[in-house]
Amino acid sequence: MAFMIAVSLNFFLPRLIPGNPVRVLISQLAEGGVQSDALARIYDNYMREFGLDQPVYIQFFRYFTGLFKGDLGTSFMLYPGKVADLIKEALPWTVALQVPTILIGWIVGNVIGAVCAYKGGRFDAVVFTSALAISNVPYYCLAIILLYGLAVHNPIFPVGGGYSFGSFPDLSWSFLGDALYHYTLPFLSMIVVAIGGQAIGMREMALYELTTDYVQYSKALGLRDQKVVRYVFRNAMLPQITGLAISFGMMMGGALVTESVFSYPGIGSLLFTAIRQTDYPLIQGCTLIITVAVLLANFLVDIAYGFIDPRIRAAQLGER
Amino acid sequence: MKNLLKTQDLKAYYRLVDGTDIRAVDGVTLDLRPNEVLGIAGESGCGKSTLASVMSLTHNPPLRVIDGDVTANGSNLLTMPTEQVRQKIKGRYISIVPQGAMNALNPTQRVRNFAIDMLREHFPEMKKDEAIDLAAARIDELGLPRRVLNNYPHELSGGMKQRTTIVLSTLLDPKILIADEPTSALDVSSQKSVISLLLALLKDEIITSIAFITHELPLLRQIATRIAIMYAGKLVELGTMEEIIFEPLHPYTEALMSTMLVPERHVREQRIQSIAGVPPDLKAPPKGCRFHPRCPKRLPVCSTEEPPAKEVGDRTVWCWLMQ
Repeated sequence: MAFMIAVSLNFFLPRLIPGNPVRVLISQLAEGGVQSDALARIYDNYMREFGLDQPVYIQFFRYFTGLFKGDLGTSFMLYPGKVADLIKEALPWTVALQVPTILIGWIVGNVIGAVCAYKGGRFDAVVFTSALAISNVPYYCLAIILLYGLAVHNPIFPVGGGYSFGSFPDLSWSFLGDALYHYTLPFLSMIVVAIGGQAIGMREMALYELTTDYVQYSKALGLRDQKVVRYVFRNAMLPQITGLAISFGMMMGGALVTESVFSYPGIGSLLFTAIRQTDYPLIQGCTLIITVAVLLANFLVDIAYGFIDPRIRAAQLGER
Repeated sequence: MKNLLKTQDLKAYYRLVDGTDIRAVDGVTLDLRPNEVLGIAGESGCGKSTLASVMSLTHNPPLRVIDGDVTANGSNLLTMPTEQVRQKIKGRYISIVPQGAMNALNPTQRVRNFAIDMLREHFPEMKKDEAIDLAAARIDELGLPRRVLNNYPHELSGGMKQRTTIVLSTLLDPKILIADEPTSALDVSSQKSVISLLLALLKDEIITSIAFITHELPLLRQIATRIAIMYAGKLVELGTMEEIIFEPLHPYTEALMSTMLVPERHVREQRIQSIAGVPPDLKAPPKGCRFHPRCPKRLPVCSTEEPPAKEVGDRTVWCWLMQ
């Protein structure tokens, strides 16, 4: 149900952007000095080719049936590139950038948060305050600062792109090394913020758990702190898992700005260009990927929760 | 007199952020003897739970011990290194039944696994199977259903959860069990099963003594052998159950007992009376006897000087009327 609504929105929302995409294409051709009657023919041709001469409901029907056949349509801008191929090309880059960022950020952030809550005192004051400050830096600002500091002013890292100009994506060591080198700055710009945010959330949860009766009770029976902290950590993690899922869901669209700043060849950059050029099929394709990712993440969280929290497992199985 | 645990002039205050102290326990001297159930009673906010947390060495900031000792076998437990207290005392010599026992068990852990964790904490060489067998044997002995071991806490009823907590607390055969309002959240029939479980622990000599903290006086009538009455952070009277309930000497004890419905002949005709006034603010308790503003029998000296302890037979009363 949610999927159907999302799919429909994916179709209609891009069409609310003012401007006719074909006119944009044509105007670019006109700058190239093509004759005006030739332009009119090309315009009609494109309109037919993209199906934009049909009423909207027919376009919607075509989009919908195409979807079930796995056909996401043809990109306007990168004609005759297939949307599915473009996404397939960009997807690994985004996944490679986001999955490690989210996972490492989540794990490190949670550990820092738990340690803060447990240790308290000065350690907590210093680490918590810095986490608070860092997590409130907009990640695109951080991206620009890093870009200026480490690529433009001190050219330690490349200014942008996913790999060096002229090299071709394959699985050779030299290419992987090159990709990692380009990877560092976008990765840094996102992970720092991710760690800060997760640490704050975890600290709050763990602080709450530390005051619970079972912690006091376990300590009163002589359980060592490490053991009690393990209980606390596990229970405080439960809400954090939702956070992890949301991050994974937002993964596809979340790095839009970061990818643009670093001209990183992922879904974010693709969507960004698609929107700028009102490339309906490409926007639809990208947002579809995001929709699927969010729904899938939610589904996986529900399953994971059942494994981790016996109370929810009981509710899911109807034991209550 | 031989005792298992003794507090000497114990003062434990909650220090507030603004620097003021709440004198929840203000000079309590009390001993817990072998083979007894010592009831500690008083109205809400009199410091009885605070006293229990210091006696069980589970006090945390902002509560701190300002002065006094808690001794067992001649050693002061308050100055003993924390790690030693954890290994030798907690769970093994002194154990607790917590006030909020409803949530005392980790919600995401099976009872069995907590039993294993606890036993292996104190006996690292014990195998998991041995730990489970030991817990199962104890559960059989005390007449609980064995299935509780495989349950998560949310799968147990309130009364069963409380009884499970008590069994876990006493797995290591502690000498002393400090039970802080263990029945206050339970209905009457669950209360009864908890009380009989506690008595069974004493009878089977799994534990030696219980300190039973409660505001429900009729409960103490059933279980206590001696009773200490607390008012505003201090003891007012300490004696056997019969003495305290039937022949109270301190005006506060007397007033407290008259609030209780006891089906004994000589109280049957009396009216239930409430105690006039409210308990004092423990940030600035009244000078002299703390009960004097509410006391119907006060003397001039009561408002200026604290009453000294007065031994009357085996009981102790802190009241100027007794001097």
